[in-house]
Amino acid sequence: MQAPSSSLPVAPLTQAPRLETQNLILRGPEHGDIEPMIAFLTDRERSWGFGSYDNRHDAWRWFGLNVGHWHIHGYGYFTIEDRESGEVAGITGVWNPDGWPEPELGWALFDGFEGRGIAHEAAARAREWAYTELGFMTLTSNIVPGNDRSVALAERLGAWLERTYQNVYMGKEMLYRHPGPESLDNDGSVEAYA
Amino acid sequence: MTRFAFEIPMLDAGDVTLRAIQESDLEPLAAFYATERSQFVGGPLPRVDAWRIISGNLGHWALRGYGMWVIASDQQPVGMCGFIFREGWDEPELGWQVWGGHEGRGIAFQAVSAARAHGVRAFGLNGVISYIRPDNARSIRLAERLGAAFERETVFFDKPCHVYRHPKMEEAA
Repeated sequence: MQAPSSSLPVAPLTQAPRLETQNLILRGPEHGDIEPMIAFLTDRERSWGFGSYDNRHDAWRWFGLNVGHWHIHGYGYFTIEDRESGEVAGITGVWNPDGWPEPELGWALFDGFEGRGIAHEAAARAREWAYTELGFMTLTSNIVPGNDRSVALAERLGAWLERTYQNVYMGKEMLYRHPGPESLDNDGSVEAYA
Repeated sequence: MTRFAFEIPMLDAGDVTLRAIQESDLEPLAAFYATERSQFVGGPLPRVDAWRIISGNLGHWALRGYGMWVIASDQQPVGMCGFIFREGWDEPELGWQVWGGHEGRGIAFQAVSAARAHGVRAFGLNGVISYIRPDNARSIRLAERLGAAFERETVFFDKPCHVYRHPKMEEAA
């Protein structure tokens, strides 16, 4: 017996808005994102700094967790879509499960999408949305020591190392503090893109 | 107004009500999952993972169109029951858990009966299974009282598990 296909919901999974940048679309998670997300989360080489899982079951649960996170908080991880190709390039958004020190601006890119400025463009847009639409006055990013690529992006986003702390899942993490909404440029971006 | 992919109906189940889970259920849920009593339903788990059960539950409703309800007795959350079909499940499962101090009152039977009937009516889920660990005597008794029958042995998350099959509704007494 299988789940009746007619029960597959067709309405949006979340209330996430659709945000656009020059090269990207940020949108809520959709059914079609499940497999790319599982592939990322079960690839330790790629996801060790984000939080890796060694099995499909836990990775699937993370996907559902993010959907539910949107319903509890009104925010969560967007799927990053490459505007030109329509491909799913990664995720970015604001994350705040129980046990987190503060709401976090997070990002992760899927295999093949690094080195093109996608994470910066996407995370800057998500941060701007959190400041202008959600009313956040500050945001942090939690980065595992050794994740130099994420440190570089955090610094490029204007964030600075504030302290280290023990994350309930990741162990010791560095907490980066982002510039607040008062740093918004007139054009709506938090800072001029380099 | 945005329309979401799911709505979680409230069900009248005799002495108890089935309703959507909410963040304020965290305390009793975390208290249950902190104890060995949660050993048959994935526990024990720390509080942060109990929070993830709540958000994961809402995500499950969105993704599948069905899921688990909280069982409320006199407005108090006392357990959960409903349908689970996550990655790794052979097919949708009818599951239940009653939290500490609320067992032995017939709550689970009433709640699970209502959930099962709603699954047939609203979700097209008829003749579903329940995964039950062979040493979970209390759940085996409830499954049998619900008319479910042992179907096969399996291994579920690295542990021996029994699959019980619920009767198709038209065959149920």
